[in-house]
Amino acid sequence: MTDDLVLDVRDVKKSYEGLEVLKGIGFGLRRGETKVLVGPSGSGKSTLLRCINHLTPPDEGRIFLSGEEVLEKNIDAMRARIGFVFQDFNLFSHLTVLDNVRICQVKVKGVAADVATERAQQELERVGLGDKASAYPAELSGGQQQRVSIARALAMDPDVLLFDEPTSALDPELTGEVVRVMQKLASDGMTMVVVTHEMSFARQAADELIFMENGYIIEQGPPQQLFSSAANDRTRAFLNVIAEHG
Amino acid sequence: MCREPDLDIYDVLLRDFPFLLKGLGVAVVLLVALLLIGFVLGMAICLLQLYGPRTLLVQWPLKVYERVFRGVPIIIMLFIFYYGVSGIYDISAFAAAVLAMGLRSAAYQSQIFRSAFQSVPAGQMMAARAMGMSKIKAIRHIVFPQSARHAIGPWTNEFSSEIKETSLAYVIGVVELTRQAHYIITSTQGNVLMVFAVVALLYFVLNRAGNSLLYAFERKLAVPGFEK
Repeated sequence: MTDDLVLDVRDVKKSYEGLEVLKGIGFGLRRGETKVLVGPSGSGKSTLLRCINHLTPPDEGRIFLSGEEVLEKNIDAMRARIGFVFQDFNLFSHLTVLDNVRICQVKVKGVAADVATERAQQELERVGLGDKASAYPAELSGGQQQRVSIARALAMDPDVLLFDEPTSALDPELTGEVVRVMQKLASDGMTMVVVTHEMSFARQAADELIFMENGYIIEQGPPQQLFSSAANDRTRAFLNVIAEHG
Repeated sequence: MCREPDLDIYDVLLRDFPFLLKGLGVAVVLLVALLLIGFVLGMAICLLQLYGPRTLLVQWPLKVYERVFRGVPIIIMLFIFYYGVSGIYDISAFAAAVLAMGLRSAAYQSQIFRSAFQSVPAGQMMAARAMGMSKIKAIRHIVFPQSARHAIGPWTNEFSSEIKETSLAYVIGVVELTRQAHYIITSTQGNVLMVFAVVALLYFVLNRAGNSLLYAFERKLAVPGFEK
C-alpha cells in the first residue's frame, strides 16, 4: 500500500520552544504527483517542508522516501534524493551557473566530471538558461537565479522536488518565468511538493491542494473542488482572500 | 666592526648593506614562520569555535587563549617565552620569537577567519547540506572558498602589522634587520637618522611588495557581479 508512495509523511510533529508548529501532519505522494501546500503564514507549511529533509528535524513522526525511512544516520544520502528549492535561491555565489549545477553531482553522487557537465548543461537548457552557463549568480536576475536553483536540484535526479515559496522573493514581473518552469516540470511527470501563494500554478498544475492552518491539515483535495466548494469555512475564506490578492 | 673615521656614512652603508639584507632575510623567515603557525593554528581555532563541540571544555580554553594572546603586549610575550621557556628548555632567541609571535598571530588570525566564515550567508551552508553534502564537504567546497575571499583584506592587514612587529624580536637578541642597523650605528657612531631611514625603506618596500601580491590575489579571486 505505502510502497508505491514516493513520499510518505506520517504524523509529523514539531515544536519550537514549547510552541507546537506541526501537530501531527501526514500525507503521501505518488510518482508524478504534484501537491500544493497553502495556508496562512505561520501555519507550518515551510516547517513541514524542512522536516521532510530534516533541515528541521521533526520531533515525532516518520518520513519515508520510496519506501526507505529518512533518518539522521542516512540523512546525507536521502537529501541527495530530495531536491529542495529555497525561497531565496541560495545559489553558491562563488561558482558559475554551470558549476552550481555540477558540484553536488560530483561531490555528493560521485558522478564523473564530464558526465556532470553534460547533465548540468541539459538541465540549464530545460529551464531556458543554456546560454548562462558561464555567468555568476550575482550577474543574473532573481527569476534566472531561481531557475538555476531548480536546474541544480534536477541535476541530482531526485525522487521528489520540494519548493519552499519559490516565487515569494521575486519581483512580480519575474514570477511568471519560474512558474512556467514549474508547470512544465509538473506536466513532465516530476514528483513535487510546492509551498506557494501562486494560485494560478495550484489551479493548473496541482493534483491536490492541501490547506494547512495552525499546524494541522484542515482540508485536502483537487484544486477545482477546493476553489469551488471547499467543505471547510476557513479553507474557503483563505482561498477567497488569496484569489483576490494573488 | 671598529670605528673607521675615514669612511663616510654612504661608504659604510654600501659596505654593510649585505648585513642589512641578511637582517632582512632573518626578518622574512621569522615573518613566514610566525604567519604559518598563526595560519594553521588560527584556522583550527576558528573551525573549532564555529563548528566544533559547543561544550565549555572545548570552547572556554579557546576563548581564554584568544583573549590572553590578544590582550598582552608582544614584548612581554617575547620576554616570557625567551626567559621563561629557556629556564625549562634551552630555546634560541629566534625560536622564542617565532613561538611567541606565531601563537599571538594565531589568536588574531582565528578572529579574522571567524568573521570571514560568519560573513558567508547561512543559506549557503543550508543549501549545500540540503543537497546531501556532509558538513565537512560543505565547509570545504562552499563556505571556505567564499570566506577566503572575505579574509584576504583583513589578512593583508595582519601581514603588514606582523612585518613591522618582527623588529621587536630585537629585544630578545634576534639578529634581524633592526639589530643589524643598530650594529652599524654602534660601529660608526651617529648617523642614526641615515641608517634608520635606509632600514625604514627596506621595511616599507617589503611591506608594499607583500601587499601588492595579496591585493593581486584578491582581485584574481573576485567573483564577477558579486558586491563586497
